[in-house]
Amino acid sequence: MSDSRTRLRNVMLTLGVGAIVAVLLALVEGNGGAKLNDTLALFAIWGIAALSLNLVNGTTGILSLGHHGFMLIGGYVTSLLIVPADVRERIASQARSDMTPFTLSLSVENAFNAVGLQALTTPETLWVRFLVALLVGGFVAMIFGLIVGIPSLRLKGDYLAIVTFGFGEIIRLSASTSLFSPFTNGALGFAGVPNDFGKSIWWTFAILGLTLFVMTKIKFSSFGRALQGIREDEIAAEAMGVNLARSKVLAFAISAFFAGIAGGLWVSYLSAARLDFFLFFLTFFFLVAISVGGTGSYTGVLMGVAVVVFVQQYGDPLEKTYGLPVWFGVIGSLILIAAAGGWLYRKTRRMRPVLHPLVVVLGLIGLGTLLFAIFGQNSPALDGTFQAFGMRRILLAVLLIVIMAFRPEGIMSRAEFSWAWALRERKDQPSDEERAQDAWLSNPDLNRGSATSSEDPLPASLTAEDAPNAVPFLERGTKPDPDEPRYGEGRDWQPEQDDEEEGR
Amino acid sequence: MAAITTTAGRRAIPWGWIFGLGIPALVLARIYYLVNVVEVRDYAFFIGAMVQSLQLGSLYALIALGYTMVYGIIRLINFAHGEVFMVGAFISYFLFSGAPFALPWALLWSAVLAWGVAFILNLWRGSMTHPTVIAGGLVAFAALTFLLSTFQVNWVAALLLSMLFTGVLGVVIDRVAYRPLRGAPRISLLITAIAVSFLLQNTGLIVFTRNQTPFRPETDWTAFLQFDVLGGTVYTSRLMFLIPILTAVLVTALTLFVTRTRLGKAMRASAQDAETAQMMGINVNRVIATTFLLGSMLAAAGGFLWGLNFGSLNQPAVMGILPGIKAFAAAVIGGIGSLPGAVIGGLLLGFLENFMTALFPRQGDFPGLTEFKDTFAFALLIVVLLVRPSGIVGEDLSEKV
Repeated sequence: MSDSRTRLRNVMLTLGVGAIVAVLLALVEGNGGAKLNDTLALFAIWGIAALSLNLVNGTTGILSLGHHGFMLIGGYVTSLLIVPADVRERIASQARSDMTPFTLSLSVENAFNAVGLQALTTPETLWVRFLVALLVGGFVAMIFGLIVGIPSLRLKGDYLAIVTFGFGEIIRLSASTSLFSPFTNGALGFAGVPNDFGKSIWWTFAILGLTLFVMTKIKFSSFGRALQGIREDEIAAEAMGVNLARSKVLAFAISAFFAGIAGGLWVSYLSAARLDFFLFFLTFFFLVAISVGGTGSYTGVLMGVAVVVFVQQYGDPLEKTYGLPVWFGVIGSLILIAAAGGWLYRKTRRMRPVLHPLVVVLGLIGLGTLLFAIFGQNSPALDGTFQAFGMRRILLAVLLIVIMAFRPEGIMSRAEFSWAWALRERKDQPSDEERAQDAWLSNPDLNRGSATSSEDPLPASLTAEDAPNAVPFLERGTKPDPDEPRYGEGRDWQPEQDDEEEGR
Repeated sequence: MAAITTTAGRRAIPWGWIFGLGIPALVLARIYYLVNVVEVRDYAFFIGAMVQSLQLGSLYALIALGYTMVYGIIRLINFAHGEVFMVGAFISYFLFSGAPFALPWALLWSAVLAWGVAFILNLWRGSMTHPTVIAGGLVAFAALTFLLSTFQVNWVAALLLSMLFTGVLGVVIDRVAYRPLRGAPRISLLITAIAVSFLLQNTGLIVFTRNQTPFRPETDWTAFLQFDVLGGTVYTSRLMFLIPILTAVLVTALTLFVTRTRLGKAMRASAQDAETAQMMGINVNRVIATTFLLGSMLAAAGGFLWGLNFGSLNQPAVMGILPGIKAFAAAVIGGIGSLPGAVIGGLLLGFLENFMTALFPRQGDFPGLTEFKDTFAFALLIVVLLVRPSGIVGEDLSEKV
């Protein structure tokens, strides 16, 4: 198949999958229940944020830890611009509120009224206003991204990480101070943000698709290759003519823009904007998603987000109240499994002694706890219940530690999903140009030596289709020539002499 | 750590003199203005602020030492250090408020503590299976089980045992989370450290408590104290003596350890060049474990004193974050990798933070700078990292080409 046909096929396949996803979403919206709906919306919102973080962390190789700050900016700007009039009146009547009449009048609705677009201020056209608010939120976050990025991107590595963390925390801490509380309503925040968008799987998935499209375009553009060059080797990239500062700041700003969009949707999902919705745990979750899925791979990031969202949404049985025997049993089993794992590890690594004292002690403790839980169920010591509040986050933290220890590049590493891979095609199909070259080379006129004559030996009609059996360019050099004797065949093969004298 | 620093060329602008003399001059001028012109404060208030800053600065210094030692050796910003500090505070709380424990709990506590005793003996004897080490661990186990199941623990014992326990925690964290990543990119190590910090925060929520906890051991040191000076009264507590003195003792002990013992010498060597140190026969993993032990012990002492100073502990998920990051800022200001730098940076951060709020109080329409107190530490951290990453006394250890 030619390049253009392959591309067309890929686009058709992608559109087909998109259509199937849309049908599935429609089914979920109709019959899936509220929880599944929320889960999917959350997946899309966090997916947008994680993809944007991945542009910086994965593609450019800069560890940024301040993403919750940009999400906060996007979220608060969106809610400031979209909060309905009755909520504004309530805020104006609050004595503790710092908001001024001017900041309370900042809304998309008022702006549309001012420029004479009354048609867009009806309840039916709320989506227009929401999209405008979302975009403005994204752009404000982008401006803050530039403000943060321009000074701090001069640093590298862990210092840069800590500076971005510092900026993220500064944004969060100063949002409630008197400097910004006229815009953010201080510690009170905004309630009553319309949740028709953040909870709608259509809107969130549409924006996720758009983000994915933009991110993929960026990754495979020359700009994206420059970013990946920066990740691999800054000095080499600079030598190749990449403007380090400009590329990094631009990547950071684009990332902040999408983080702002995700923040706006997140606020809408929660139907309120408060400061404790934008704690560091958000960035941590995205970091888990990126590290688990594969640093730099968008496919992997979405897989990682699915894992995180699944744990977050369906892990609540972990945080229920259980009787102490259950806890002791679970803890005992875990310790026992750990001891068994240690034994197996030492055995496969042929470490001596296989039964390290620590393994034995752990095994005995685990066994003892388990037996106590089973046979001592009725003893007064196990009479009680316990609730492990925060177990889901512990699970994610342990997952991250384990991934970093055993597979730091993540599940997908840097590979992306591609249709060629899905259909088990050879990756290096010869391109149209290579096929044409092959046709040209196999032109019988060439071999007759008429190239010296004045007329062009290449007929104009030769195209890629004329050389259907062209060998992929990359494999040409590796194909064995049938006439050439293989190494060792047909020669007097002798082992090379160990020339000991040479070194002396 | 104590590394050889060379001054390459003469600096054109003596920033050290400008800041060293200019900032105190500005502070004194502002104090004079507030006391004599606007007359909203008296001199005693600033003496009190000074005392408070000294306390707070000592606490920051204690935590910052852990950051700076770990960074000096494995170039890791130990994100989990703030959480280690939190664990130290809560452990001492449970020791002085919970003892005497029921026998199973006493056994559990003393098992961990005895392992810590054995580990410290192992640093001296060189092997965990040395007879002295095993005997010491067993004796400690028996003695601690008897002690914890029989007596109440007073605050000194709680402080020491909590330091031991938290030191063990630091060693375990290093062994389980960081050691598999030796030689991995520094960013992977940092991500692991963030994960460990998150793990400790949420484990603290489960194991310790979910609420703010009052922290009042039975001691005379928290008694209030007031004295008249410069025509005003300073209200403070006896902690103004305890905290700086205890800090000085611990810092002196640490300095003696690092400069006078073989293991300390190995630490300094590893900080300069871990690879060469290893070739010279130094067990670098042991040195790193020692570093985590010492840093975590100091953090636990900091946690205990923090609880005394503020009278309560915040809930575990948030308690360690701000002190941790501020202490890291202090370590960077002083010059990360340098022990005196951490102490200087901690004291300086304590003074700057306290005086920022004291010098700019609420006046009329001006709301004061109190609400920017936490932001200030972050801003200072960022400015120092951008302008002078080597800090006041240190050398530049940031990632080089």
